[in-house]
Amino acid sequence: MNRPTVTRRQGLAIGAILFGLLLVGFVIDGGRALLGDVAGVISASYFAAVFRFTVPIAFAAMGGIFAEKTGVINIGLEGLLIIGAFSAVAALWGLSATPVGANIWVAFLLAVLASTLVALLFATVCIDFKADQIIAGLAIWLIALGFAPFASIIIWDRTNSPSVGTFPVWEVPVLADLPTVGPLFSATLPVFLLVLAVPFSWYLLNRTTFGKWVEASGEDPKSLDTAGVDVRRIRYAGVLLSGVYCGIGGAGLALNTGQFVGSGDTMVDGRGWIGLTAYLIGNYNPIGAFLASFLFAALDALQLQLQQIAGFEVSSTLVGIIPYVAVVIVLTFVGRTRMPSAAGEHYESDE
Amino acid sequence: MSAGRDRVEATLDRLVDASVLERLQISLAALVFAIIVGAVLVFVSGLIVDCPDPFLSLPGVGGACYNPFEVYWTMITGSFGSLTALGRTLQETTLLLFTGLSVAVAFRAGLFNIGTQGQMILGALGAALTALWLGELVPESLLGALIVIPAGVVVGAVIGGLWGMLPGLMKAYADAHEVITTIMLNFIAMGIAFWLVQNHVGNLESDSVLTHTIPDVAQLSPTIGGTRFSLWALLAALAAAIGIYVLYDRTILGYELRTSGLQEAAAEYGGVNAKRNIVTSMTLSGALGGIAGSIYVLMVQYRWQDGIPPLGFDGIAVSILAGNNPIGVIPAAVLFGAMQSGSVALNLTLGVPPELVEVLRGLIILFIAMPEFFRMIGKRYGYGSDPLATDGGENV
Amino acid sequence: MGESTDPGDPERHAPATRDVAARNGGAPAVRLEGVTKRFPGVVANDDVDFSVDRGTIHALIGENGAGKTTLMNVLYGLYEPTEGTIRIGGEPMSFEDPGDAMDAGIGMIHQHFMLVDTMTVAENVVLGNEPTRFGGLLTDERTAVEETRRLAERYGFDIDPTERIEEISVGEQQRVEILKTLYRGAEILILDEPTAVLTPQEVDALYEILTELIDQGKTIIFITHKLGEALHAADEISVLRDGKLVGTVPAAEATREDLARMMVGKDVLLEIEKPAADRGSTVLQVSDMVVDDDRGIPAVEGVSFDVHAGEIFGIAGVDGNGQSELIEAITGLRSPESGTVAFEGADMTDLPRRKRIEAGMAYVAEDRQKRSLVMAYDLRRNGVLGCQRLPTFGEGLWIDWDRIDGYVDTVIEEYDVRPPDPGATAHSLSGGNQQKFIVGREFERDPSLVIAAQPTRGVDIGSIEFIHERLLELRSDGKATLLVSSKLDEVTQLSDRLGVIHDGQLVAVVRPEDVTDEDLGLLMAGERPTGLDVESARVRTEP
Repeated sequence: MNRPTVTRRQGLAIGAILFGLLLVGFVIDGGRALLGDVAGVISASYFAAVFRFTVPIAFAAMGGIFAEKTGVINIGLEGLLIIGAFSAVAALWGLSATPVGANIWVAFLLAVLASTLVALLFATVCIDFKADQIIAGLAIWLIALGFAPFASIIIWDRTNSPSVGTFPVWEVPVLADLPTVGPLFSATLPVFLLVLAVPFSWYLLNRTTFGKWVEASGEDPKSLDTAGVDVRRIRYAGVLLSGVYCGIGGAGLALNTGQFVGSGDTMVDGRGWIGLTAYLIGNYNPIGAFLASFLFAALDALQLQLQQIAGFEVSSTLVGIIPYVAVVIVLTFVGRTRMPSAAGEHYESDE
Repeated sequence: MSAGRDRVEATLDRLVDASVLERLQISLAALVFAIIVGAVLVFVSGLIVDCPDPFLSLPGVGGACYNPFEVYWTMITGSFGSLTALGRTLQETTLLLFTGLSVAVAFRAGLFNIGTQGQMILGALGAALTALWLGELVPESLLGALIVIPAGVVVGAVIGGLWGMLPGLMKAYADAHEVITTIMLNFIAMGIAFWLVQNHVGNLESDSVLTHTIPDVAQLSPTIGGTRFSLWALLAALAAAIGIYVLYDRTILGYELRTSGLQEAAAEYGGVNAKRNIVTSMTLSGALGGIAGSIYVLMVQYRWQDGIPPLGFDGIAVSILAGNNPIGVIPAAVLFGAMQSGSVALNLTLGVPPELVEVLRGLIILFIAMPEFFRMIGKRYGYGSDPLATDGGENV
Repeated sequence: MGESTDPGDPERHAPATRDVAARNGGAPAVRLEGVTKRFPGVVANDDVDFSVDRGTIHALIGENGAGKTTLMNVLYGLYEPTEGTIRIGGEPMSFEDPGDAMDAGIGMIHQHFMLVDTMTVAENVVLGNEPTRFGGLLTDERTAVEETRRLAERYGFDIDPTERIEEISVGEQQRVEILKTLYRGAEILILDEPTAVLTPQEVDALYEILTELIDQGKTIIFITHKLGEALHAADEISVLRDGKLVGTVPAAEATREDLARMMVGKDVLLEIEKPAADRGSTVLQVSDMVVDDDRGIPAVEGVSFDVHAGEIFGIAGVDGNGQSELIEAITGLRSPESGTVAFEGADMTDLPRRKRIEAGMAYVAEDRQKRSLVMAYDLRRNGVLGCQRLPTFGEGLWIDWDRIDGYVDTVIEEYDVRPPDPGATAHSLSGGNQQKFIVGREFERDPSLVIAAQPTRGVDIGSIEFIHERLLELRSDGKATLLVSSKLDEVTQLSDRLGVIHDGQLVAVVRPEDVTDEDLGLLMAGERPTGLDVESARVRTEP
C-alpha cells in the first residue's frame, strides 16, 4: 500500500531534480560571478522598475483570487490581460494618437471596460450555462490570444501597433525629491493603483461582509444560499472584479510601453499565468500574492538590468521559468495551498 | 416477453447511446455557433479594413471587404481543393491526431492534461537530436530510414512520456492539481528546450534558435502533392486512435486506468493501484504528445526550431470536440487540420489574417464547454426532454 | 430580530411539565391545510393537513420518499405549494423564498449542515445578516461574537463563538445551526433527521436542547424515520406515506408497532427472526492488529478476534474509535503496523487487495459514494468494480462486457435495484438503491467472507430490512460475516457474537443476548459495567 512517508520522499526527489536542473543551468552560464553584479544593480530606480513590472502580474493575481474565492476558477487571466492591453492601445489610437492628453484616461477606462465585458461573458458561460470552468477559461485565453493579433492586423495591418503614447509620470511631492529613495516616488498611475489595490483587496476580503460572502460562496455555497444571499450574484461579482483587475493590469502594461505587441504570445507573454502562480504561492491572500508577484518581477527586472548594465550573460529563459518551477515545487512539497472547497463546482439553487 | 428479447432491446438501447448522440449534437451545434460568430467577426473586420472594391457597400458605414461566405469557401477549397491543399490538411491532421489523442487519453481517465504542448516540444527536441546523431551513423538507405525514424519517434515518446509522468507523480503522490502543474510544466519545457538549443545543442552559428537540419535519411518523405506529409505517419496515427479505443473500451487495464483517474478511492477498493495508474495515464498521454513532436520534426520541420505551433493546445480543442472519444478524435482532427490548412489560403488569396482560425478554435472550445446553453435553446424550441440523466459514465 | 435576541429574562417560560393543552392558548403555531405539491409526473405531497401547537415538539415520520422533506421545504419556502394554505399563528402565509419563511419566524436545520467550515462559529451564525459598522463598510465582528455568545448562554449551549467550524464536533456544529436560526428570530424550528449524524451521547444532549427550546416557547418540528426517537422526544407524531398524511397521534399513546404499520402500510417485523447459528470453521482470524490512521497516530491498538463460517460477528462502537482503520487493514486498503490477518488458515497480512478479492472476500464499504461506487459510471461499469480481474469477467487482457451485462442484470433483478436500468449512473440512484446494488454485486459473487461496514447508513427502512435479510441468508448459507455498525439495534439483532470497540481496542466480546443496551452503551463509552463478563464470547475454536 501507499504509505505517506514514501510518497513524500518520492515527491521530494522530483523537486530536487527540478531544482538541481535549474541550478546547473546557472552554473553553466557562469552564475558564480552573479552575486557581485546583483549587488551593483539594486537601487531605487531598479525597484521603481520592479513596481512597474509587478503591475500586470499582481493585478491578474488579485483578480484571480476574487474569482476563485467565490468558487469560479478563472484560468483565463492571461486572456483578460491581453484584452486589456490590446483595448487600451486600440482605444488610445482610435481616439487620435496625438496629443495624448486626457485621451489616455479614457482609453484606460475603455480597456478596463473591455476586459470586464469579456469577464462577464466568462461569468455567464460558467455560472448560468454551467460550463466547465477550466475549459471555458482556456477558451477565453485562446480566443484572446487569437483575437488580439487578428484585430491588430485588421487595424494596423501588422501584429504590432504603432506607438500611441504612455502614461505621464506623477511625482509624490517632497518624497520624490529625497535622495536615494526618490525614484520610488515618481511613477505612473497603474503603480499607484497597485499600491492602493493591495490593501484594499485584503480589506475587502477579510474585513467586510462582502468578503465573508465571497468566502462562503467558494467554500460552501449552499450555506450562503440558505442564509438568504444570492450565490449567483456573489460569483458574478467575483468574476467581474477579476475582469476589472485584469483590465487595469493589461492596460497598465500596454500604456507604460505605449505600444501593443501582438506577435508570439503577445506582449502579455505569460504574465497572467505568473499571476496565477503568484496567488497560489500567496495562498489566496492578496498581500501574499502581491509579494510573490513582486519577487517574480524583481527577478525579471534583475535579469534585464544585469544584461544591460553589467553586460552580463544570464539566460533570460532560465530566469523566466523560475516562477513556474517555484509554483510546481510549492504545490508538490509545501503541500496543498488551501483551495476553496467548492471552487470549480456549479451551484444550483433549489428553486 | 422473453428474457432474450429483453437482452436484445437492452443491447439496442446501448447502441443508440443517448450520451454519445447528445455529445455529437452538442459538438455540431458548437461548430455552427462558432462559424456564425466567426462570420460576424469577419464581416465587421471587413468594415474596418480598406480595400479597392468592397463586395458590399453600406451607406453611412462604408464598404465591407470580407464576404463571410467567400471566406469560408476559400477555407474549404484551401484545405481540400488541390493535392497540395489536401497534403497540407492531412499533414496538420496527422499531428492533431496525436496531440488530440494525447489530451483524450488523459481526459478519458478523468485527468486534464494541458501539458501536451510541453511534452510535444521536448519530444520534438529529443527526436531532432536522435535523428541528427543517428542519421550520421546509419547508411543512406531504406534500412537506415527504418532505423533512424522509429528511433526518433521512440525517443520523442519516451521524453514526452517522462515529462507527462511528472505531473502524474505530482498528482498521485503529492495531490498537486494536474491542471496547474501541466500548465506550468509547459512553460518550463519551453524554457529548457529553448535554452538547450540556444546555448548547447543547437546551431550556435545561427541567429535564430534552431538545431541543424536532420539528414535526409531521417526525413519522412512527402507522399501527396509535394507537401511534407507522409501517409505512414497518418496510418500510424489512425492505428493509435483505434488502439486507444480498444484499450479503454475492451481491456481490463483500460477500465482500471479510467477508474483510477475518475475516483481514486473507488479504484483502490476495486483492487487497483490507483496512484500508479494515474501516473500511467499521464505517461501515456505525454508519450503521445512526444510522438506528435517527433513527427513534427521528422515530417514537417526537419529540425527543432523556436516557435513550434501550438498543436498541443489545438489538441485540447480536438479532444473536446470529439467528446474525448478516441474514434471521435479522427473527424475532429480532420476538421481542425482543414481549418489550419485553409487559413493559409485565406491569408494568401483574401488577406484575412490567419489568426482567425485561432479565434474560431477558442470559440468552438467555449461553445462546447457550455452544453447547458444548447439544452436551453433546445428546450425553448421544444426539442426533446433533458437527456442529462443518461450519461452512461462517458463524462469526465 | 424579535424575541430571540432579546437579552431579557431567559426563565420566562419554564413550565415544569410538558402539558400540551395548557400552552395551547391561541391558534396553532403552524397549520397546513390541504397542502399538495406536484412535480412533473409526481405528487410529492397529497392534500396534507396538520397542525403543530406552540411550545411543542412534533415529529414527522415516514419512509424515504414519503414526502417529509418536500413538505418541510414547502413550509420553509423552498417550494411553493401547488394547492393549499400555510398558516403561521393563524395567519395565512405565502412564501416566495426561504427569506419570507425566515421573516415569518421559521428556521430550518438541514440534515447536511449549512456551515462554512473555514469560518468561525460567530461568522456562520450571522452569515447573511451581519452586523456592520460605519454604514456597512466593516463587519462588526465583536458584536457578532457577543450576540452569538449571549444566544448560546440563553439556551444553555456550551460553545465558543470564535472557534472554526472545522475544529468542532458534529454535535457542536448542529448547535451552531440551531443558533443560526435563533439569531434570525426563528420561533418555529424544523430539524431534518437531526440525529442521523450524532453519537448516542450527542443525541441525549440534543434532546436536552430541544426541551430547553420549547420551555422557552419555541415550536419544533423534526423529521425522522427512527420510531424510537419520535416516541421519546415528541409530543405528537404525524406519519406520512406516499405523500399522504396517514394520521397524527399523541406520542404518549402510540407504540412502535402502530407507527411502523402506519409508515409502511403493513405489519413490519421489528424484531429479526434469527435461526440458531450453525458455526463452522474459522474463516477470518485477526491477531494483535495495530493500525495507524492517516496522521500516523495509532487508531487500532492490538485487536484480535475471529469470525467463523455461518456466523455474523458484529463490531459495535461509536464512530471514530478505530473501526474504519481496522476494516481497511483487513480488506487490504491500509497496511497495519503490526499484527496478522489470516483467511481460511493462510496468512494474508501482506496480500494486496486484489488477491484478497480473488480469495473470496466481499466488502461493503462504509462510504459507498467514495469507495464502493464510481459515481460517474453506470451500473454496468460499477458492476465489475473489484471483479474486473476475476476470470468470470474477462480473459487475459480483455474484459468481457457480455458476461458483465448478464451479471449486472441478475444483481439488479435479485436485489430489486431501481430504476432497473444498467445504463443509469450511480449518481442518479437513491442511497438505498445504491447500497442494494453494492450488496448485490458483492454477495452474488459467492464470497466466503463478507465484510459489511455500516451497511444500512443513510438507507431507507425498506432497503434496511432487505439488506438485513440478505445478511442472514448468507449466514444460513454458511458464510462468515463481519458486520461493523454504529447502530446498536442492528448489531445486537444480527450478530451471533458482538465485539465492542472503544478507543482502538476491543473492550468486550459478548453474546448479544447476554447484555443489555445499557451495558453496551457503557462499554462503547469506555466504561466497564459491573458484573458483566466482557470475555464471555471470546471463544476460540482451535483446530
